Amino acid sequence: MKNISFKLFFLFALAIFLGFLSYASGMSQHQCLSVAIFSASILGTLFFWDFRLSFAFIGTSVLLMTKTIDLEHVIEFASLEVILFLVGMMVIIGLLKQEGFFAWIVSLILRIKKLTAWKFFLVITLFSALLSCAVDEVTSIVFMVAAVLEICDYFEVNPLPFIISTVIATNIGSAGTVLGNPIGILLASKSGLTFEDFIVKAFPLMILCLAVTIFILAFWYRKALRQLDEKIKELGANEMLIHLISVPPEKNLKISLAIFASALVFISLHHRAELAWDLPANTVLLVVPMVVAGFIMIWKHTKARDYIEKDVEWWTLLFFLLLFVQAGTLKYTGATVFIAKKLIAATSNNPVFLTSVILWIGAIGSSILDNVVLVAAFIPVVQGFGALNVHLQPLWWALLFGGCFGGNITLVGSTANIVALGILEKEKKIKVTFLTWFWVGLTVGLITTFIVWLALVLLPFYA
Amino acid sequence: MIVSQVMTKEVVGLLPEENALQALDKLLEMGISGLPVISPEGKLLGMFTEKEVIAKIFPSYLESVGGFQYDQDAKGLKQKIANFSGLAVKDVMRKDVICVEESTALYEAAHLMLTQKARRLPVLNKEKKIIGIISRGDVVKAIFSQYK
Repeated sequence: MKNISFKLFFLFALAIFLGFLSYASGMSQHQCLSVAIFSASILGTLFFWDFRLSFAFIGTSVLLMTKTIDLEHVIEFASLEVILFLVGMMVIIGLLKQEGFFAWIVSLILRIKKLTAWKFFLVITLFSALLSCAVDEVTSIVFMVAAVLEICDYFEVNPLPFIISTVIATNIGSAGTVLGNPIGILLASKSGLTFEDFIVKAFPLMILCLAVTIFILAFWYRKALRQLDEKIKELGANEMLIHLISVPPEKNLKISLAIFASALVFISLHHRAELAWDLPANTVLLVVPMVVAGFIMIWKHTKARDYIEKDVEWWTLLFFLLLFVQAGTLKYTGATVFIAKKLIAATSNNPVFLTSVILWIGAIGSSILDNVVLVAAFIPVVQGFGALNVHLQPLWWALLFGGCFGGNITLVGSTANIVALGILEKEKKIKVTFLTWFWVGLTVGLITTFIVWLALVLLPFYA
Repeated sequence: MIVSQVMTKEVVGLLPEENALQALDKLLEMGISGLPVISPEGKLLGMFTEKEVIAKIFPSYLESVGGFQYDQDAKGLKQKIANFSGLAVKDVMRKDVICVEESTALYEAAHLMLTQKARRLPVLNKEKKIIGIISRGDVVKAIFSQYK
């Protein structure tokens, strides 16, 4: 109780201090209030994760009651397009789960022929990255952890190195497409970047970072790989495991796979479709999951309510919605343009320096905070740079990669880390300490962010 | 009608330090799906049910990885079953239990059974000590005997 009171006192004291600091640096009263409330919400997620929605509700109400923002703009900044996209995707994922798509993926991993430790390691890291690209990191990590635990159980080896490698690869992979992470669709929606932009620019850079990460992890965990190889020799590959597990792709799974594949194709072609039909940017991108979800709910009409009520994470989505409103208030009051101007002055309007600042603040910040919180805060600031004639594209990529790769640095850096380590603790009673994760996470986090930094500042392709 | 008029007063309970495997045997012998876990002072600590036993021995990700099929028992499952005999009832029991008071109306108990999917509800007195248990069967019997 004492600890909670201290945290609460610290939270409000810091938020009020930031508000006064903003006032002292020349912001208006409403700008200061929006900064203080947004800071309180961010700190609330940091100190009281389970109460983040309460902070978001109360904070947004205070903004409305103090006339810092009006109702019309609350609706404008709520980014309903992003929320609806995520709802549609969650319904599609719900169908895939129900029809056994993920169990089928897990069984494919478990059926690797002529298994070796290196082959297993390569498959789990590649699958983790690609699966998180195609669905999202939080969904994919559960299934990858299941596959890793099954194999490690069978060969009686410590699963920890393989679980950490899987999670790190998942976080790296989540930067590859719009679908990998909620910040992907948030950035696409606010920046006008298309799925094709992500495939052409983010995906190759993600693959390069993944390749480097695989080598770092293989070196870091070379002992664990050697032990697994010895066990494979002793127990004779995984033929027994192949007999143990069977997930035949049934008719409904095949139909679900076809639906998911069509959704991916239409999402990837959204920009061309928008050009052909003269639609505003990202209309088709946001419409495809909704149309597909609509057809799924017709096909599986008896389970339609379950998809909406159980598979859609309303708690998280409502938090996102109110967070976007609070971040939007910073823009509405002009606080973000004020911050943008200060940042430009501090970086002498040097685009390389500016990109570096955004990338590294993004990476370090998201190692502590939820990356959606961080990116939501930065988006209006980056939009503020746009008003000052700064070229924005490298800044958007810096936000994406900083937000995704920073999650690898600490064990609380991303939801995927927390979910995977939770399963590990429950299943194997292995409690990962901060430092066990930190050194490997920091090494991968720093090296991959450095690679992205080099690409963003040296390659004209990203400018 | 209130709960105290309908409840079963002779409560068979388990002690928190009791062996989980022996407790499971007791469940199977009695042909019921769960028993309350009661402290030596008579306070309700939790519920030991078949559901909790299943959750303890099967992988926690089984629910998410729908459609996962084992042709034979997996190694991890065998290991967990072997470990189960070393556990105490308190390691397996569910701690958040929906309870009613002796003066609770039967309608309220029925409402809780339906909305919370509870098969049985422990009945507590003002000192929070368990004084009975009311099952779905008790509710049905009480309602029908009233109108027969």
